[in-house]
Amino acid sequence: MSRLEAAQERRAEAGVPGSGPPQASDVLLEVRNLRTYFHVMDGTVRAVDGVDFKINRGGTLGLVGESGCGKSVTAHAIMRLIETPPGEIAEGEIWFDGRDLLTLSDEEMREIRGGDIAMIFQEPMTSLNPVFTVGDQISEAVRLHQKVSAREARDRAIESLRLVGLSAPERRVRQYPHELSGGMRQRVLIAMALSCSPKLLIADEPTTALDVTIQAQILELINDVQAQTGTALLLITHDLAVVAETVQTLAVMYAGRIVETGSVEEVLLNPRMPYTQGLLNSIPGEKKRGKALSAIEGVVPSPFRMPPGCKFQPRCPHQWERCTMEPDLLEVGRSERRARCWLQAPGEIERRRTYDLAAAATVRDVIG
Amino acid sequence: MTAPAGKVSRTVSDEVLIEVRNVRKYFPIMGGILRRQVGQVRAVDDVSIEIRRGETMGLVGESGCGKTTLGRTILRLVPPTAGAIRFRDVDVLALKGDDLKRMRRRMQIIFQDPVASLNPRMPVSDIIGEGLLAQADRENGWGSRPVRDGRVGDYLEAVGLRRSYARRYPHEFSGGQRQRIGIARALALDPEFIVCDEPVSALDVSIQSQILNVLVDLRERFRLTYLFVAHNLSVIEYISDRVGVMYLGKLVELADVDVLYAKPRHPYTIALLSAVPDPDPRIRKKRLVLSGDVPSPANPPSGCRFHTRCWLRERLGNPENCATDDPAFRDIGGGHRVACHWADEITDATVAQFVPRVGRRLDEVRAAAAPAPGAPPPTASVAPPASPPIGRPTSG
Repeated sequence: MSRLEAAQERRAEAGVPGSGPPQASDVLLEVRNLRTYFHVMDGTVRAVDGVDFKINRGGTLGLVGESGCGKSVTAHAIMRLIETPPGEIAEGEIWFDGRDLLTLSDEEMREIRGGDIAMIFQEPMTSLNPVFTVGDQISEAVRLHQKVSAREARDRAIESLRLVGLSAPERRVRQYPHELSGGMRQRVLIAMALSCSPKLLIADEPTTALDVTIQAQILELINDVQAQTGTALLLITHDLAVVAETVQTLAVMYAGRIVETGSVEEVLLNPRMPYTQGLLNSIPGEKKRGKALSAIEGVVPSPFRMPPGCKFQPRCPHQWERCTMEPDLLEVGRSERRARCWLQAPGEIERRRTYDLAAAATVRDVIG
Repeated sequence: MTAPAGKVSRTVSDEVLIEVRNVRKYFPIMGGILRRQVGQVRAVDDVSIEIRRGETMGLVGESGCGKTTLGRTILRLVPPTAGAIRFRDVDVLALKGDDLKRMRRRMQIIFQDPVASLNPRMPVSDIIGEGLLAQADRENGWGSRPVRDGRVGDYLEAVGLRRSYARRYPHEFSGGQRQRIGIARALALDPEFIVCDEPVSALDVSIQSQILNVLVDLRERFRLTYLFVAHNLSVIEYISDRVGVMYLGKLVELADVDVLYAKPRHPYTIALLSAVPDPDPRIRKKRLVLSGDVPSPANPPSGCRFHTRCWLRERLGNPENCATDDPAFRDIGGGHRVACHWADEITDATVAQFVPRVGRRLDEVRAAAAPAPGAPPPTASVAPPASPPIGRPTSG
């Protein structure tokens, strides 16, 4: 029995309160206490180490962080694409539309993958099969999930290519991936993802490999189809500016955990966690000219030598003794606004004031 | 590494260090069973720039615009098809043998990929020492191992690494540290001019700012001149004194950094600036989204190369000369050069419409001039208000 099954059994026996589908019916996806580990030669990497979040129907969430923070692994866990071994979803629940994805059989999961949940990957070249036409690849996805004739599937493919703004879609369906540019390939992937009208679209760094003018096209497209089709969106990126224009809610990840969440306006205009402030402050630009950039010192800790307590503490300019103890995701102000930082604990008024001043200066410098 | 605090005073002299005249670099396209040349990619097509001593010249553009090829051509890492390159008074293209080798010391390069640019089988001491050994002569004494090792240690320290790291291999370092090694390697030869070819593009944002700080710090300490090639407009804005924008092998705009970002006059530059995502979640962005992709440099459009995607041409009713005449790269005042027939049609208000921060600045200026809030803007076609109600950005 895997660790996950053991955990699920324990939970069922104990009748742990809070497990079970989310009560509110407008919640489409709820991830609870997700832990994904990779067992490698040097030990265990806790890539995702206790992540919780929710996405409402038609809602948008941005998952932001640097390489290795666990944002992509989170997405792959939702799709159940973690290769086992070496990977393992060790604990957690992923409630999607009333079902816990982690309890589904492989066949049931295959139906959801590409059907109700679709994913766009970063590399538009490697995610397309070079020996099949674009039309074949989209129709294949359609026919896997819906009982339609080959003709209908092809019409669906043409329709979704038109939706993503490709010119002459009747001609495009006969083309092979190498005949398309990077931006067009990314459009094809989006078309493929949308062809089965998913309830949730996961976009993993969808514009990182693209040039800035093409990025603008693709972001606009994602915004448009999201608004038009009402699909929910989980956008994964390292770029704070990209989320600023695409999503409503934001979750910042660091070392396998969510360290701050809230609406995109609140998190970016009033960051409550020094890491978020550091990320914002790392955006170079006109107001920083002639000044040293305030870089976040040091590097992300090695997964085999995680510091005690707050994982950001060794790089944090505000850290003190209390930070060697693990902080919770503390509520700050309104509900759904949380930060994993002792600065937000009651009683830390003096320290919080110093931090707030620094954070306000950063926001002024970067956002204006 | 000691980061410079506050404003840094720098001296950019009037002396021209690098002069690039009408440089072209065409790569042949081979095809057919006989592998004959069937065409050519015009990677760099008639580019002229001057880089002054102590200056940082930024070069931006999208992939395939020729910015990297231009940098490598200046260093003579690829021979140009035509044109002239001078380093001070020396004709770089005419150099041969020992003279060329000596010149190579004075011009170095930092590469984009910190993994691919370091030999995994060499310890850091050899990676940095290799160039020193190649350039060793009686005067510098770099032929002697202790001298070389001492120098390797000095430059590791200069880029913020420990001397003892010289014994380690590339795989033992993080991406940021590897990039520092690449910088130390370029620096150890005591160059005057460094081509920085996308040096921070492969790095995470927090590491990116550490490396930018190192580059700025070294620029002051060693009085370096940089040609900084990047596709990230905010990185270019941070580090450059002057900026050139390239499109399909040609320089389309060149100006002081403040002028280029506040008063761009080429429609492509405006489109680039408009496309940059803005971290302010409050503003509703009105993007200038260019249609289509960059045309192939093997078969560039006639006339102005941007005319097939140009929004300004469309607004002006598709004037004929854009498709027939290649626009001159003309000076529109104060060294601000633009290659566009219709650049005079662009006003600050046009720019403000599409570039959020220019719009914001214009609003600030206007608010300072006329303190009455809610006063209607002078013309109907100017920017949207600075702080519209919070909401999802709408597409234009």
